[in-house]
Amino acid sequence: MQTPDLVDDIAEVLIPEADIQAKVRELGAQLSRDYEGRPLTLVSVLKGSLPFMADLMRAISIPVTIDLMEVSSYGGAVTETSGLVRILKDLSASIEGRDVLIVEDIIDTGLTLNYLLRYLRGKNPRSLRICALLDKPARRLVDIDIDYRGFSIPDRFVIGYGLDYGEHYRNLPFIGVLKPEVYSAP
Amino acid sequence: MTASLLIDAQDAADTPRTSTAAGPSTASGTPMTDGDAPGRARRRRALAVVTEPRFAHASEAELARILDFYMVRWEYEPRTFPILWNLEGQVVESFAPDFYLPDLDLWLELTTLRQSLVRKKNRKLRRLRELYPMLRIKLLYARDFRALMLKYGRLDVAASLIGTDGQMMTPVVRPDAPAAEGSVPAVARPDAPAADVARSAYPSIEPVPGRP
Repeated sequence: MQTPDLVDDIAEVLIPEADIQAKVRELGAQLSRDYEGRPLTLVSVLKGSLPFMADLMRAISIPVTIDLMEVSSYGGAVTETSGLVRILKDLSASIEGRDVLIVEDIIDTGLTLNYLLRYLRGKNPRSLRICALLDKPARRLVDIDIDYRGFSIPDRFVIGYGLDYGEHYRNLPFIGVLKPEVYSAP
Repeated sequence: MTASLLIDAQDAADTPRTSTAAGPSTASGTPMTDGDAPGRARRRRALAVVTEPRFAHASEAELARILDFYMVRWEYEPRTFPILWNLEGQVVESFAPDFYLPDLDLWLELTTLRQSLVRKKNRKLRRLRELYPMLRIKLLYARDFRALMLKYGRLDVAASLIGTDGQMMTPVVRPDAPAAEGSVPAVARPDAPAADVARSAYPSIEPVPGRP
């Protein structure tokens, strides 16, 4: 894949930067109220949720700790011999007895999150909730209860604000729709 | 063939056409559920070889691999649902969804073929939902499957997995075909009352009152 012309490859800006930032502030305020007086751990799922996590944690006014996880993806693992999802980066601290919030960039099929929820529940947190910036319900295979939702989006391939195509476009400050010819090109 | 594989094959005879997905795994790929003993993953792979169903379509095989990857248990065409009966109460049309995900109580039907077949499948699906309203079923079209491939960076192979290009050449074992040795057909005998046929196809679901 050639280095893409980031903005030229965008067919449409689906969610402008200002709207994202306003929503993040709104979510941060709500989380600050809901978790007041309770130790909260934010768990970000690399790599896509990194910008969302960075902005959200700064929009929360109560004390929080953060942790990072990375889970292998099907597409990146088709050549692996195990053929099973793996934790590439595990939590660095125990979450037992703590209130935990999974911070996700997007939930579509729900397969990754379904796996992650089962894994984290096994670590006996006091509570386990989900905060997702984007929800693409048309693609859902596994029903997931999203406790904090930023935007519900249509069934389109989106990039930017952490979301990638071929590891590119993550640094765009908005959520955009990629031109089909970009990913259809041979 | 090793002794353990022979044992697995014996075990597998009771549960044909199913996945072997288990719980979450560690960074080493070792499942973290029952039994972390060395060799368990090897046994699981051996079992997978034994229980691999004969998929009707390459897209179904790919979807099974995705579900396996995320450790979502599945069964391939485990039930056939009668959806139309003649005046004698005999089943004249039935529908066997491609996958059942027992942990999610969800049925999946994958259709990547041409539009005329999609229309036929849509009609059967509507009928299925009328007769079995408690059934949770999702229909994945070619565009949905293509989006899935795009998400996983496998768009390059999508074209070979959908439509007529993806049809398998191997014999297909379908629930409404003559039963393979050791398997239990989901459809009851043709002379059974229609309601019994429905219940035998999916015992936990009763047909809508007023229906045959």
